[in-house]
Amino acid sequence: MAELPQKDQLALHEFSVRYRAALAKQHQTPEQSLDTVRDAVREQYEQEQEAKRSPSVEPPSPTPEREPEEPEP
Amino acid sequence: MDELIKLIRTYRLTAGLAERIRLAEEIFRLIEPDLRFFVFSSVTHHAAQDALQEVLKAVATGMKKFEGGTAKEFWAWCYRIARNKLNDYYRSKAADRMQPTPPEEMWQLIEASAQDAPISAAVRHDLEYAMKLLTSSKPECYDFLWRHFIIGLDYGDIAEERDMSYDGVRMKIGRCLDEAKSLVS
Repeated sequence: MAELPQKDQLALHEFSVRYRAALAKQHQTPEQSLDTVRDAVREQYEQEQEAKRSPSVEPPSPTPEREPEEPEP
Repeated sequence: MDELIKLIRTYRLTAGLAERIRLAEEIFRLIEPDLRFFVFSSVTHHAAQDALQEVLKAVATGMKKFEGGTAKEFWAWCYRIARNKLNDYYRSKAADRMQPTPPEEMWQLIEASAQDAPISAAVRHDLEYAMKLLTSSKPECYDFLWRHFIIGLDYGDIAEERDMSYDGVRMKIGRCLDEAKSLVS
């Protein structure tokens, strides 16, 4: 049978819930956080677009990527 | 499937910028409060806002590369990023490493947030008991108890963070709790 939480664990859990709620209430509007996220996503997107526009030059592959086509009969 | 992991999967497959931003906003509305709590519990409050923005930026940038398939894996990945960012932060600003939040400060915060719905006597008794358990612990134990019971990290997360075994963490937390109880009673 699973061990029941003890009084001390329940008290600590209650404390966690109250403290989290208090912190969340103190910082209700995470607009600054959302701005940071939007900027990070935009920056990453621009880097991807830049990488697509100027793909790095790779050395020629020693083996052909496609099998040579069979000669026409 | 968990709503969070659905959003992350969709985000990974989304190419357009506007849609990516919309999804990222939805994802971060769900995860920001927990990341905020983690950071604000690890760094002094005056430094925490900057540290939190660094963590959010790192998570947002790395989300395209996240390869896990469950919310639990995603949270473990987020906390790993947060720990690494906080370690970088500690190295550059050692003075901002968290000192245990003074009990009076925690109380003020809880009391202030409970103005609309006063705390009952029974709950107040529990909260005072929890505070005594935490504040009577030695610093090392305080940190283990805080991370497990208050932040909500499981034994595995703490084991990874501390480079300890799962059972080592489980036993350590058990011993710390017993010790705190004996000091309080």
